[in-house]
Amino acid sequence: MSERKQLKTKKIGNRDRTRLSPGQAQQQTESSQPAVTVSPDDFSSRLELMKTEIKQNPDVVFRRFKLGFANLEAAVVLIDGLTDKDLINEIMKSLMYGVAETPPDPQPAAMNIKDFIEEKILPASKIKAVSTVKEAAEEVFTGFSALLIEGMPEILILETPSWKSRGMEEPVTEALVRGPRLGFNETLSDNISLLRRAIASPQLTFVDYWIGKTAKKKLVVAYMDGIVDPEIVREVQTRLERIDIDHVPESGYIEQLIEDNYLSPFPQLQNTERADRVASALLEGRVAILLDGTPFALIVPVTFSMLLQSPEDYYERWFAGSLMRMLRFAVAFVSLFGPSIYISFVSYHPGLIPTKLALSIAGTREGVPYPSFIEALIMEVAIEILREAGLRLPKPVGQTVGLVGGLVIGEAAVRAGIVSPIMVIVVSITAISSFAIPQYGAGIALRILRFGAMFFAALLGLYGVTLFFLLICIHFVKLKSFGVPYASPAVPYRLSDWKDFILRMPILMMKRRPKMLHTKNEVRKG
Amino acid sequence: MITNPKDQITSSQAAVAVASILVGAGILTLPRSAAEQMNTPDGWIAVILGGLVTMGIAAVLVKLSQRFPGKTFYLYSQEIVGKFLGYLLSLVLVVYFTLLAGFEIRTMGEVTKSYLLLATPKEVTMIMMLWVGVYLVVGGINPMMRLFEILLPPTVLIFFVVLLLSLQIFELDNLRPVLGQVTPLFKGVQTTSLAYAGVEAMLILTAFMREPDKAVKAVLVGIAFPIAFYVMTMVMVIGGLSVDLAKLTTWPTISLIQSFEVTGIVFERFETFLLAVWILQIFTTFASAYYFAALGLSQLFKKNIHPFIYALLPLIYLVAMTPKNVNDLFKLGDLLGYIFVFVAGIMPPILLAIAVLRGKKHGPKA
Repeated sequence: MSERKQLKTKKIGNRDRTRLSPGQAQQQTESSQPAVTVSPDDFSSRLELMKTEIKQNPDVVFRRFKLGFANLEAAVVLIDGLTDKDLINEIMKSLMYGVAETPPDPQPAAMNIKDFIEEKILPASKIKAVSTVKEAAEEVFTGFSALLIEGMPEILILETPSWKSRGMEEPVTEALVRGPRLGFNETLSDNISLLRRAIASPQLTFVDYWIGKTAKKKLVVAYMDGIVDPEIVREVQTRLERIDIDHVPESGYIEQLIEDNYLSPFPQLQNTERADRVASALLEGRVAILLDGTPFALIVPVTFSMLLQSPEDYYERWFAGSLMRMLRFAVAFVSLFGPSIYISFVSYHPGLIPTKLALSIAGTREGVPYPSFIEALIMEVAIEILREAGLRLPKPVGQTVGLVGGLVIGEAAVRAGIVSPIMVIVVSITAISSFAIPQYGAGIALRILRFGAMFFAALLGLYGVTLFFLLICIHFVKLKSFGVPYASPAVPYRLSDWKDFILRMPILMMKRRPKMLHTKNEVRKG
Repeated sequence: MITNPKDQITSSQAAVAVASILVGAGILTLPRSAAEQMNTPDGWIAVILGGLVTMGIAAVLVKLSQRFPGKTFYLYSQEIVGKFLGYLLSLVLVVYFTLLAGFEIRTMGEVTKSYLLLATPKEVTMIMMLWVGVYLVVGGINPMMRLFEILLPPTVLIFFVVLLLSLQIFELDNLRPVLGQVTPLFKGVQTTSLAYAGVEAMLILTAFMREPDKAVKAVLVGIAFPIAFYVMTMVMVIGGLSVDLAKLTTWPTISLIQSFEVTGIVFERFETFLLAVWILQIFTTFASAYYFAALGLSQLFKKNIHPFIYALLPLIYLVAMTPKNVNDLFKLGDLLGYIFVFVAGIMPPILLAIAVLRGKKHGPKA
């Protein structure tokens, strides 16, 4: 027993010694893993290996040179356009001349050349060493530079990424009257620094992921350690790890790959370009997911009330905030049920509207050849076409399309007797209502459901609308977003969370974080 | 035993569930049945008394269920009176819930036919609602509770606003004399107690509660809601229509709302709103009865609940289609009332007595 133990320690001692003397290390690595591991001996063949791994592309730069302080060959591998040229030049300068004036050791190769270079030569802030060419090649494609040196088994990876990116601008989809004008851009590191600046706290934690099998992309999960429910973080992480796809072009892919119910019309992750929105979500105890290459960050878990909220509700005083909230709930209702209620009144229950109004509706509908459902469908589809057409055109043209479409066609359709003027009013109010919903995705969901409601109304009148309302409610209460019921805070009843629901109570009174998120630290104030 | 932690409900959810289950068909018919029985305008007193009686019954139900935490009636009845008798009682309860579900659906179909969709066959409206019910019930107890919670506030709001609008035809004289005769009150209490059918849901709901010791409080709060609903309905209907008129109309509450018009606001007539929230409440009662029946079958046969949910669907439809006309329907309602008296009023006290005498208690294992 004791003998074996001795042997073991001896072995360890041996290995230690091998690390110290490069000659033996060469032999060992060469003999054990000849193909994969870089043989420090044969510098040119290593470089060839690197070249085949990276493939000869015009944007790849292989720059060979000699070290200034030792007679050793070296090469830098990088991608033109992804790296900071000035920094590379600085690094190469120091490698080529750097310590020439003060030769440290006659034989730097004999001592650990890697440590020497890391400690005394390289001016790059972040350096790491990898042992295989494959790993090095992967890093090179994300903007890092690989430094190969004759006689050194590892390949040094230098942090040199720098590329052209869009400046930070005001988010187009979430413009505010009051609030920070800064939105995310396409560069992950910029976005992360923006978040850091918003939340200067060591509790803010970022976890790195690489997503995509063929084309890798960096993804970061952000949360406030000590506030967030660890259960939610774990759920996010398991779902992210389950992702198995070759490429993610945008965070919308991530959203669709990790959402709870892909059959639901409701968005179960919130996307936002606003750093302030992400920051407050994190401090509420939610988790954010940021992907490189897109300004849209994802926030989970989502509850439906979030879809009707805007950061301005909090930045303005609470009267204004509460009124805007109530308005949005009303708007959501109109956007969902406006046309269907009109259809059911006109085609099934004309007796329920005031007689004068009923008469005038009947009067305007005189000469309209279609039932009100078809009439509404024509107008709704027309509005959707206008919206879609105006969306992609340049701004001035888009406005013209809106004007021509809305005014001219609407007017002409009424004159031609295809639709009644009241239907035009109903459909326009509904359309405007759906644009007043702060979350684009939620607006889309309501628009889709609106057609369902119209169909039910055409079939069964108000009874159909009631049934459809029931169906939506049932779907609503069944849906969950990362373990949190989608219908919260409405149900299950948690009165303390209702301070920030239909009304936005004074900030003085919102002393606790939302209970529905099961935060570890509920105290916000006082 | 059957309840995993995910299936637990809070005390407020239990209260809301009781309120939602109790408020059902009764809102539209109670004034008539009470007026028929009593012939005096004291229906509202009978409603309060009936509610108090129901509270007493509910307390017994809950006490019985609390002796067997985590177990529904279907499971613990066998422990108390043995396998065979327990099975039989459970089946009675299942049948009762099935009949109740069918009754609610048919009532909804009749009302929809007469007031909302005159030309649409009632089979269509009923089948549609049955399918919506399936969609809810397959989700289990938690979505149901959350749905009830969503639906209750708008119901309360709209119902009371619409009823208050009828103040313009309200005449206090119609409610006089108060307690002119006392004897009809006893008859009335019998009738009005039946309007609280549904309270036997506590035989099952208690098992799902996270804090079963708060069940009594929950059920009492839950019953307070329907008492308020029914008292309000009785007062407004009798006050607006008078006893004689209430006796003659099939759905007196709707007739009341139909008998006035409000000018000057967007709508002139409001029975649609009343009907809309009433349909929602009918749905809650129907869905609960449906779920409890399916749950009973699944627990009796120790199988997954889903096949039973689908199997019960045609049965409920058959029950709903059995009555030939509205009068038949009300006879079915009376039958349900008798079974209700048995399952809620007679059976639980006896079982409780047996359980106490035999010392049966499924507490923490001693």
